[in-house]
Amino acid sequence: MSNTTAKRKRWKKPLIIGGFLVVIGVAVAYWFVATEKFADTSNRKAAHTVNAIDLIKEFIANDSLANKKYTGKIITVNGTVSELEAPDSTTVNVKFVDTTTGSFLNFQFQEQHLAEGKGLKVGDSVSIKGSCSGSIYSDILGTTSISFQRAALNK
Amino acid sequence: MKKLFLFLSFIAITGGIFAQKKTTTAATVAFDASTSVDALPKAENKTAIAVIDTKTGVVQFEASVKNFAFSNPTIQNHFNGEKWMNSDMHPKFTFKGAVTDLTKVNFEKNGTYTISVTGELTIKGVSKTITAPATVSVNGGMVSATSEFSFKLADFGITGVPIDAGKVAKEPKVTVSAEFK
Repeated sequence: MSNTTAKRKRWKKPLIIGGFLVVIGVAVAYWFVATEKFADTSNRKAAHTVNAIDLIKEFIANDSLANKKYTGKIITVNGTVSELEAPDSTTVNVKFVDTTTGSFLNFQFQEQHLAEGKGLKVGDSVSIKGSCSGSIYSDILGTTSISFQRAALNK
Repeated sequence: MKKLFLFLSFIAITGGIFAQKKTTTAATVAFDASTSVDALPKAENKTAIAVIDTKTGVVQFEASVKNFAFSNPTIQNHFNGEKWMNSDMHPKFTFKGAVTDLTKVNFEKNGTYTISVTGELTIKGVSKTITAPATVSVNGGMVSATSEFSFKLADFGITGVPIDAGKVAKEPKVTVSAEFK
């Protein structure tokens, strides 16, 4: 047996094992990403706790700063329900409206909390936790809309 | 005085019912870009703002890009990232159009009407004219509408390896539904 063949045989086994481990690693990483879910918002700690109307005013005063401060974060909002709108039969969106400007906060609920919004009434004093998606200026309404997703009642 | 009050009340009530512009802030815009390789790229936004003008047939939608809810956090982050929707730079999707055959709809009579809507869809700062079929339902003064269409991602400058690899559909299906008040 030549020296070269012996060397090749010596490297063959570690290479096969290494390749196998890489494949396993990639499969585990893919599985982790594919099965990843958002945590239940009711179990998440809020980065900020704010009053609904104060939050709207903060976005109107400086939307760039407010978006940097709140977007992508879990926020607890306390306020009085101004409107309830049903996008479908399973849930309602809860809105807090600043009557002086018409601007509003709009919460869409997390799947496991869909029924919570349906139990609310206009005028209810509530505390809602949700992931802030930031603001957009609505050319249709001429107001600022600040939306939240994965919301849950803060019990 | 009583008559004047009754007259004003009548105007206010009928004005509300027959108002030309009907709006909602709870329209649903959902898209499905899933493929046989990857079931994850689909999301919905239930806080879209929409208006329909029953006199002119003008229809408009606005949806916050960041408020599209995915089941998967990583896919949602990718969607909003610079390479895909770049939602920091382009925070909303918009549609501005009109019903092309308004005579087919009687907004004062209960019924379901099949129509067509044409207008400009703007995604990531790129506007393209699209025509989509829609169904309008009128029930006791309430107007609701649904539409389903698809568009080519490449038309809006959205390209990438996941699309070429078949993990994201080249032509996602979009479903829009709204109940106007």
